[in-house]
Amino acid sequence: MTPVLGIRGLVKRFGGLLAVEGFDFDLVPGLITALIGPNGAGKTTVFNMVTGVLAADGGTVHLGDRALLGMRPHQVARLGVARTFQDLRLFGHMTVRDNVLASTERTPWFWQRGRGASRHARVEAALERTGLSARAGERAADLAYADAKFLSLARVLATEAPVWLLDEPASGLDPASRDRFCGLLRAAAGAGTTICLIEHNLDIVAALSDRIAFLDRGRKLAEGDPQTILRDPELAAIYFGERRA
Amino acid sequence: MSAYLVNLGTLVAIFGILAASLNVLIGYGGIFSIAHAVFFGVGAYAGAQAAMLVSPDVLLCCACGAVAAGAASLALAIPALRVRGEYLVAASLGLQMLAVTVFTSGGQVTGGMGGLVGIPGPTLLGIDVSGPLPFLGVCGAALLGTLVLVGVLMRGSFGRGLTALRDSESAAEAFGKDVRVLKALAVALGCALAGVAGTLFAFGQQFVNVETFTLEQSTLLMAMVIIGGAGTLAGPVAGAALLMLLPALLTFLPFVPPTEIGAVQQGIYGLLMVLLMLFRPAGIMGLATGRRVS
Repeated sequence: MTPVLGIRGLVKRFGGLLAVEGFDFDLVPGLITALIGPNGAGKTTVFNMVTGVLAADGGTVHLGDRALLGMRPHQVARLGVARTFQDLRLFGHMTVRDNVLASTERTPWFWQRGRGASRHARVEAALERTGLSARAGERAADLAYADAKFLSLARVLATEAPVWLLDEPASGLDPASRDRFCGLLRAAAGAGTTICLIEHNLDIVAALSDRIAFLDRGRKLAEGDPQTILRDPELAAIYFGERRA
Repeated sequence: MSAYLVNLGTLVAIFGILAASLNVLIGYGGIFSIAHAVFFGVGAYAGAQAAMLVSPDVLLCCACGAVAAGAASLALAIPALRVRGEYLVAASLGLQMLAVTVFTSGGQVTGGMGGLVGIPGPTLLGIDVSGPLPFLGVCGAALLGTLVLVGVLMRGSFGRGLTALRDSESAAEAFGKDVRVLKALAVALGCALAGVAGTLFAFGQQFVNVETFTLEQSTLLMAMVIIGGAGTLAGPVAGAALLMLLPALLTFLPFVPPTEIGAVQQGIYGLLMVLLMLFRPAGIMGLATGRRVS
């Protein structure tokens, strides 16, 4: 299947440290792909380069036929790449509803792309699906951790972006919330959304992902289906710090 | 006595506009500038020159003041686009000091140290509004207009974008907000409104000079916003009213000798700031009660 997002030879150096080394990767429409690897493997650095937060030192990233490298983060977002952050980065002073509404607004003007009524309907639908409708008027800073996680997802849901990059989206959730969260991601993928997630909880990775890429020290060591990658004893040893690549 | 109160009311309205305009930068956008008196000054000089050279029509002169201050806001927008937090405070401090030098040596444009004198009384569409009461009405209407404008803008996508920027610049960008455009617009809007206040001040005093546009004034404006409640609509106006009326109220205290009012006023300002930050950090009209805003 033609990839919606294609990464070729991506390189990032921080001074003398090679954080990402010749990373090749494809995201396929409607599939959930997990990036896993030990801390410092370069997973979030890849996300940051794709979304324009960090400038890459080499390689290419294409969304369809559009080259993304060199674009600023808001330009990448406007092309349809939505992301979440490990530390959530909610708009704490805003209400839950305004957090979601703000995620759908692209310009500072009163007129926005897309009819206002349909945008508001998308916001309410995102709140409903994430179970936040009853808390829509509360300040985001006052939410409990699990609700904050769902708000982080609601902001992405409401954008209707075709590509989602989720950085540890379900970490710290209780099992019931985690199941609900995974259900939302599965439903989105089922509707055609392309999802790439970074996740340390291997149970979530096993339950959710269609493909896995394993990174260590900036290099992709393996890529394949979850059964193969998660059962590889050498990768497990690297992941748990018992061996280095 | 009544003329004194009308004059006080006029000053409260003018400084209410100023505080509301600074609130766009500090309260909504998280753009910490201590150079707001510069744009107050640019508006005052531009409005005064327009009144003396073209027409004393208050609408025309306020438009001139707003445009001049909005254009001058580029001087703040450029550092604001590159740095934030304490670095922007330092950059705006430099701008404030530079502007005082320019105002002082501005020749006929600013009148130098002596300032501009002989500013004609304001008219509104040909009607004389230079009397204390009509001018209070003009300033009150300008304050109301400012609050409506800021309120409408801040409840819309512009306000949400600015608040998003203040809370998390990286997340705002990740959701498609052009940080440069938002910051430039916020600075231009805040400074243009300060220009309107400057023009009204020039009409009210019929004299402007550099002493009104110093770092001390910028600091006082910041205090008005913080004490009243940054990021709230009514807070900065409440802060402006409190800090403008405080000296007047102190004069009625029988146990404060007239020669000591200045020192007592400074002491009360300082104490008020410390107590507010301790017990009501979000300001008088702030959302959080006795709790720090995250």
